[in-house]
Amino acid sequence: MSEEAKAETTDSKESFEPKIMAFVCNWCTYAGADLAGTSRMEYRPNVRIIKLPCTGRIDPLFIIKAFENGADGVLISGCHPGDCHYTTGNYHARRRWIAFKDLLDFTGIDMSRVHFSWVSASEAIKWVELINNVTDDISALGPFMDFKRLNKKEAE
Amino acid sequence: MGKMEKELREKAKELLESGEVAVVIGYGFNRRKTRVTPVFITDPAETDKLVFNALCVNNLSIYLTRKYKDVQRIGRPAIVAKGCDIKNIVVLITEGQVKREDVYIIGMTCEGVAYKQELLKEKLVPEIMPVKCHNCDVRNPHVTDTVIGEKSDFTPPEEPTGMVFDKIKQIESMTATERWDFWNEHFTRCIKCYACRQLCSLCYCEQCITEKNMPQWIETSAHPRGNLAWNLIRAMHLAGRCTFCGECERGCPVNIPLNLVNQKLVLTVKNAFDFESGYDENVHPPMIVFKEDDKESFIK
Amino acid sequence: MPRIGVFVCQCGNNIESTVDTQKVADEAKELPGVVYSCSYKFMCSSPGQEMFKQAIKENKLDGIVVSACSPHMHEKTFRRASEAAGLNPFQCEIANIREQCSWVHHDPTKKVGTAKTMDLTRMTIQRLKKNRDLTKITIPVTKRALVIGGGIAGIQAALDIADGGHEVVIVEKEPSIGGNMARLSETFPTMDCSQCILTPKMVEAELHDKISLYTYSEIEKVDGYIGNFKVTIKRKAKFVDESTCTGCGECWEKCPFKAESEFELGLSKRKVIYTPFPQAVPNIPVIDKTKCPKILKDKCGLCAKVCGPQSIDFTQEDQIVTEEFGAIIVATGYDLMPKTRFGEYGYGKITDVISGMQFERLASASGPTGGAIRRPSDNTEPKSIVFIQCAGSRDEKRGVSYCSKICCMYTAKHTMLYRHKVHDGQAYVFYMDIRSGGKRYEEFVRGAIENDGAMYLRGRVSRVYEKDGKVIVQGADTLSGSQVEIEADMVVLATALVSRSSATTLAQTLGIGYDKDKFYNEYHPKLKPVETVTAGVFLAGTCAGPMDIPESVSQGSAVASKALALFSSDKMAREPITAIVNTKTCNACWDCVNSCPYVAITKEEVKDRRGNVVRMLAKVNDGLCQGCGVCVCACRSKAVDLNGYTDEQVYAAIATF
Repeated sequence: MSEEAKAETTDSKESFEPKIMAFVCNWCTYAGADLAGTSRMEYRPNVRIIKLPCTGRIDPLFIIKAFENGADGVLISGCHPGDCHYTTGNYHARRRWIAFKDLLDFTGIDMSRVHFSWVSASEAIKWVELINNVTDDISALGPFMDFKRLNKKEAE
Repeated sequence: MGKMEKELREKAKELLESGEVAVVIGYGFNRRKTRVTPVFITDPAETDKLVFNALCVNNLSIYLTRKYKDVQRIGRPAIVAKGCDIKNIVVLITEGQVKREDVYIIGMTCEGVAYKQELLKEKLVPEIMPVKCHNCDVRNPHVTDTVIGEKSDFTPPEEPTGMVFDKIKQIESMTATERWDFWNEHFTRCIKCYACRQLCSLCYCEQCITEKNMPQWIETSAHPRGNLAWNLIRAMHLAGRCTFCGECERGCPVNIPLNLVNQKLVLTVKNAFDFESGYDENVHPPMIVFKEDDKESFIK
Repeated sequence: MPRIGVFVCQCGNNIESTVDTQKVADEAKELPGVVYSCSYKFMCSSPGQEMFKQAIKENKLDGIVVSACSPHMHEKTFRRASEAAGLNPFQCEIANIREQCSWVHHDPTKKVGTAKTMDLTRMTIQRLKKNRDLTKITIPVTKRALVIGGGIAGIQAALDIADGGHEVVIVEKEPSIGGNMARLSETFPTMDCSQCILTPKMVEAELHDKISLYTYSEIEKVDGYIGNFKVTIKRKAKFVDESTCTGCGECWEKCPFKAESEFELGLSKRKVIYTPFPQAVPNIPVIDKTKCPKILKDKCGLCAKVCGPQSIDFTQEDQIVTEEFGAIIVATGYDLMPKTRFGEYGYGKITDVISGMQFERLASASGPTGGAIRRPSDNTEPKSIVFIQCAGSRDEKRGVSYCSKICCMYTAKHTMLYRHKVHDGQAYVFYMDIRSGGKRYEEFVRGAIENDGAMYLRGRVSRVYEKDGKVIVQGADTLSGSQVEIEADMVVLATALVSRSSATTLAQTLGIGYDKDKFYNEYHPKLKPVETVTAGVFLAGTCAGPMDIPESVSQGSAVASKALALFSSDKMAREPITAIVNTKTCNACWDCVNSCPYVAITKEEVKDRRGNVVRMLAKVNDGLCQGCGVCVCACRSKAVDLNGYTDEQVYAAIATF
C-alpha cells in the first residue's frame, strides 16, 4: 500500500497504528528483545526491527531513509556504554548521534519521533516498556505528516 | 601595487625558479580588473599576474584536492592562502589528502575580504565582510611555510558575533514545526546543482554519496525529499570538519542559508566534544574518535 | 529472477497459536522472486531439515527465508542445511517470528501476529535478494592458553589443557597460586582438609612442563582475536631472582619488619619480605615495596645479607611482556563483601565479630592460631559462637540481591569444626532458609544439627553489640515467634561473595560483558555457561557468580575442553562478516583506519610497475576484523561496506517497511 493511501486512511487517531522502525545491535538489544519473547512478555506490535551487528553500524542515512519510507517513529538501541561487544562501537555511535540529533532538531525534524536507548541483553523488561512507551507516544502524535507530505509532493 | 603583492610575486618567482614548486596557485585579475579569479602560475615570468586584495574571498584549497587531478599532475604546488583557507588545508592534511611536505603554504596576513566580489566598491567596509572575517582568529596565518604581510593585531570578540549566530539563536527559539517549515522552504528550492559540494574543499570524495546508486541512499532529482536528505547528510559529513569558510553558501545559486546548518554543527562539536576544526593537523577529526564520558541526555 | 523459498515454522504451537503460518506461506508465494513456500510443524526437527533440503533441491532454490525462531537459535542450523543442499550458506536468512512476534503479541485471533509475521518475512525476502555468496574465513590458531587467575578453577583448567599437550600460562596477581581455596580449613561435605587436596594440584601445576606460572603479575592489555590474542602482562618486581632463589626462608625469618597479612585477613602479621602462606607455589618470597625500608629509604637490606644464593635484587623493575595465545580463560574468582557494609552487625568495630573466611583461618591448622579456635580480642576459647547467615546476601537494600550459595554449607561446616575443637562450645546459627541442594549436602547440614548440636534459629539479627566482654546478639526466632538475645563470645558472619573489585576493568580489557553485580556474563546461561560473547575468551569459577569448589573445578575442566577443541586443528573457520573496501571509491582519508576498534584496517600503497606509489587505499585484515561496521559509518563515500550487513541489504529492508 502506498504511503499516501495509508496516511489518508488513518484520519482518526483511534485507528492509527504507527509504524516504528527499530535499528538495534545484535548483541545487546536484539538479544534483549529475544529475551522478552523467551519470557513471554507482551508488547505493542508496531515495531519492526532491523538488526545490525553494532550501533556503530547505524548510519544517519538509515534514520532519514526510514522516515522517507513512511516510519512514524524511529528507535535506535544498543549496548550500554562500556558493554559494547566490539568494545567501543557504541561510543562511536553516541558521538554520531549527539551531532545528528542536534542537526535533526535544528532542521525541525520532530525529535519526539526519534528515540535512543541503551537496552542490554538482560533488559527484556526495559525493552518491553520502551516499545510500549514509544508506541504510545507516537500514537498520540499521530502519523508523521512532515515526511509524508514531502513524499506526496512527488505526485504533484 | 601594494607591498604585499610585491613580496608575493617575488616569493612565487623564487619558488618557481628554484624548482621548489611546479605551480603557484593564487589569485589574479580578470581582464577588466574588476574581479579576481584563480590563477595557476607555472612560468616564473608570469608571477606578476598574482594579486592579493579584499576581492580574494575564494578558498583556493579546493585545488589541492583530488577533484583537480590536472592541477595535482603539474607537480608540487605553492598555494596563496589566507588563515581561513589554511584551516581547510589543515583538515586536508589530517585526512591524508595532502602531505604537509607536499604543499608550500604562502600564508597571507589578511584584514578581511568582501563577502561577494561585486559588493566591493572603493574600499572594504565591515558591512560587506562575511561573518568569519569579523570573528577571525587567524588573520595571522597559523600553518605556513612563509608569511607575507604586516602582522595583524586584530583580536576577535570573545563570543562570536554576526548575523549567522543571531539567526541560529532565532531558529533555536522556534517551534519544531516552524523550524521544519523554515528549512523546508529553503531546501525545496534546492536544484541539486551541487555547487555547494563543488566549492567545498572538504567535499573531495572520489564518488559522492549521492552518486552511489547501489543503493541510492539519496535521491538525485531535485525533489524536496531528496533535497532534505542531501542537505542533512552533507551537513553530517562536514560535522567536526567544516571550518566555516562559507564557500558553499556563497556559491549556492538559490541562496540556501547553508552557513546556518554548518555553523550550528560547528557549535555542537565545540560544545559537545571541545573541538574546533582546522587548527591542528595532528588531531583526529572528532566524529571518528570518542571519549568514554561523552555527555548526552537523550539516550534513555 | 531469483528463486526464493520461504519456510514458515509453526514451532508446534509456539508460533502457530498466534500466527496463521499457512496464510503467511500463501501470501509469501505471491511475492516477486518467491517460487516456493510452505508452513511446517517443526522446521528444526530432522524431518523438517530433510524436507528443507529436499525442497531446495527440487525447486532449485537459490535463496532461503526461514520464518522461525530467533537467528540466535537456529540460523546456524538452517545455514548448515542450506549448505548441505548445495547452496551458499549465506543465501539463507531468518525472519524472527517467534521471540519477536508470536511470543510477544498474544492476540488469539492471530490477526496481529500474522500481519507482523508477513511484514518481517517480506523485509527478510527483500534483504535476501541483496545477499552475496560469502565464504568462511580461515585463520591460524596459536595453540597456547592464558589462564587469568590461579585459584582452583584456573589451576584445574591449566592442568587439563597442559595434559592435553598444550602450553599454558597462569597469570596470578598474588605471589602464590591457590586463590581463596588456599585459605579454607576443611571443605564440605567431605571434610577433607583444603590444603591437603589443593597443594598437590598447585605443585603439579608448578612442575608441569607445559605450565608457566606468572605470579605477582597482572594483565595490562589484550589485543587480537580468537586463536590470535596478543596479551601484555605486567610482571611486578618481586625483588627476588626466581631462577636462583631456593625458597629456604632465611630472608623472611630474618626480616625485622612486619605488615598486616593479606592472606590471614588481618588476623596476623607477615614480614615485609614474605610468602603469603607456608605452602605457597612458587615458594619464592616477594618484597612488599610499599613497606620495605631498603626500597623506600635505602635502610636495612638484611635479607640480602642473609640470602645464601644472593637472590635478592633491590633494583628489579616491573617487567612488561607480550605473549601470544589462542584462548584466554578468565578464572579471577571472588572478593568478600567489604567490612564497611555491615554496620548493624558491628563488623569492623567489634573485634570478636569476624567473617566466615576469617573463621576458616582460625580453624586452619596452618592458620594464625594453629587451628585452635580463639577470640581475636583476648585469645581465649569462645564457649559460644553465633553464626549469622546471609550477611549481605539476599538483601537488596544493604547488600546484594543474590544468594551467595556456599554460606549455608560452610556455616554448617563451621559449627561442626567448632564443636570438634571446642567440645563444650555451643553454636547458634541465624538463618533465613537453609539451602543445601547438592550431593550429600542436606545430610551434612542435618549432621551439624543432630550430631554436633548446632542450634539453628530461623530469623534475622537486628543488632549486635558489645557488653562486658561478650557480644550480645539480638534477633528474632520466627519459628517460635519470640525475640532472642544471645550472649556470645564471638560472632561469625557469612559475608556475601562479591565480584572482584577489578572485574569491570578486566572485562573492558577483554571485551566481555558483566551483570549488574559485576559478575561476568556467560554467552548463554544454560547452554554456553563457560563461553563469553568474545570468541576465544572463556569463564571458569566464581568470576561468573557464586559457586562452590566442585562447580568451580567442573568449570575449570569445561573451559579446558573448550580450549582443547579450539586447539584441535591448526586453523579455524570464521564467519565472513567483515568489512570490504571498494578500491575505486576509497579516498584514503583514513577515517576507517582511525576509528576501527580492532586496528584491522591498514593503509596500503598501490604501486605501478616501476614501484612508484600511485595511490593509497584502505585495506581490511580479515583475521582482525570483527565485523562491527564502525568503519562503514565513518566512510563518507561509502567505499567501505560490511559483508552480511551491506548497505544494500539494510536499504532493502528499510525500503520494504
